[in-house]
Amino acid sequence: MSTDPKDTGGSTTTAPGSTRWQQITTLRRQRPRRRFATRSLALLLALLVGAWFVGNFHLDDLIATKRIENLRRFANEVTPYPLQGQPFDLGTALTWAHEIMMEKGWSGAGKTLAISVLAIVLAGLFSSTLSFFGTRTLVSPEPFITSLRPPSKIRAAGWRAVVGFTRATFVVARSIPAYLWAFLLVSMLGPTAWPAVLALALHNTGILGKLTAEVNENLDAKPLAALRGMGASRSQIALFGMIPLTLPRFLLFFFYRWETCVRQATVLGMLGIVSLGFWIQDARARNYYDEMVLLILASVVLVLVGDVVSIAMRELIRRRS
Amino acid sequence: MSQAVAALSRPRGGRGVALLSILVAGVVAFFSLGLDLRDLIPDRGGLTVLGKFFSRALSPALTYEASFVPEGTQPLLLKAIGSVFKTVLFAAAGLGLALLLGVVLGFFASNAWWVGDVSGNRNPIFRWVRRSMLPVVFVSARVLIAVMRSIHELLWATLFLAAFGLSDTTAVLALAIPYGGMLAKVFSEIVDEAPRDTVLALKGLGASPLQVFFFGLVTRAAPDLLAYLFYRFECAVRASAILGFFGYPTLGYYLAASFENLHYGEVWTYLYVLIALVSLLDWWSSAFRRSLAT
Repeated sequence: MSTDPKDTGGSTTTAPGSTRWQQITTLRRQRPRRRFATRSLALLLALLVGAWFVGNFHLDDLIATKRIENLRRFANEVTPYPLQGQPFDLGTALTWAHEIMMEKGWSGAGKTLAISVLAIVLAGLFSSTLSFFGTRTLVSPEPFITSLRPPSKIRAAGWRAVVGFTRATFVVARSIPAYLWAFLLVSMLGPTAWPAVLALALHNTGILGKLTAEVNENLDAKPLAALRGMGASRSQIALFGMIPLTLPRFLLFFFYRWETCVRQATVLGMLGIVSLGFWIQDARARNYYDEMVLLILASVVLVLVGDVVSIAMRELIRRRS
Repeated sequence: MSQAVAALSRPRGGRGVALLSILVAGVVAFFSLGLDLRDLIPDRGGLTVLGKFFSRALSPALTYEASFVPEGTQPLLLKAIGSVFKTVLFAAAGLGLALLLGVVLGFFASNAWWVGDVSGNRNPIFRWVRRSMLPVVFVSARVLIAVMRSIHELLWATLFLAAFGLSDTTAVLALAIPYGGMLAKVFSEIVDEAPRDTVLALKGLGASPLQVFFFGLVTRAAPDLLAYLFYRFECAVRASAILGFFGYPTLGYYLAASFENLHYGEVWTYLYVLIALVSLLDWWSSAFRRSLAT
């Protein structure tokens, strides 16, 4: 500021017209402005608020008499079956829960876990391989080092097409939700665990592939250029230059996505695949709401266990890299 | 030189073990599911569906495929646009409520405003509240958030369908609760990890803990908070489309209906619409992030 520091230091008033006020307005005028960000934010907030006025949503509708009656009936049916109309007895409740868990809960939870693990491992394999094809810096006529003779336009376009195609595959794979993938696959492969595994693997390949390709592109180019200078091929750069450098970040994404896989694998059971969701849906279809709620609680425990494992692994990776 | 030394002095030997155990876990999962690679090849019925479905990939339907369409039915494309509108509407309403829940719960689940360097208040009453009440509030907020976000939105929808019956409001609630939990968790983490430079400056000026929190920390964390909100909007739209499978009038409802009627051209129309919608939002949220970074 060009104003005399004594002048501003002494005055405590910030009335319009004072030097201090002028300083504030100049600062305000000079602040960095991001018109796009401001407008986007305004539009998003307008959508979030406006939706409540446009749509047919009424929170008070939930406490309308009819709904409350529904809710009361529901609350009654949620009580464990042997305890309905009986005084509460912890032993009976535990026996009841134990029976359901032995019959469906544990096996459903085990299947859910197995589906999520296999799916994320497959997604990891697919996406780590494919991500290199979507890395612009690597898939180019002259990766990291420019040659004296410029490459022909046709060759450059060919390399660009490879990147474009890979990126487009990622976009399609991740914009279709796993549930929708599974819905389509069940009709083709039948109700084995494959549709759930493949659906989760596909959706997460799209997400992990895009994220990893971006990390690859943002790597420090110097060591990779050095490899290229020593005559390494593109696949050698990928294997011995990029993989070691991206691996920690990749594993962070991997475990983060695995958390969501556990959540999703539960729900995919509703399509007829034997994970926890299948038994939840089954209990709902038979109006056994007590059983349904118990199994939903089992899914909560499963998700929390997954979260803890994932957080521990990510902390380990962060500390070691 | 020093960088290379630092790289060499890192603990090593963990990577191979980590990757190997991940692969082993995958193999164990494969066998515990009793999967057969031959099941990956569809049987005759599956092959027919597959062939018919993919033969329409490049020719999505522009009009209804049914031989009889009742008088006065909306044209297919209008219906598709209408379903996009509903999908975005449900997602926006759900995320709107989630934002409210997320901000309130996120505030209580954040410890930056009452633990450590932010709160330097000497007032005995405040200190008593801080020592005895706030930890309880903090822990219960955390537990509530964990339960909210551990139940998938489709399971919330199942619960609400059983408890209240089908209404648009229950769909919005089913979205708002898990998303509110996620926003609260991430918001509190972002705020707690925000740089403390402004905090120190404001404290030096004698600002109260809450002033420091809102004007020093929240403002500092705002770009990350908003970027996350945009990302969540994209997720909410996808989730809202899927809620259609449960009978709500979003994209999934029409897609499932067309699929079950074997109108595969219409299915592709809805799929392309969904891909376009999600890609647009993907672009929007990354453009927003980029514009904040520069």
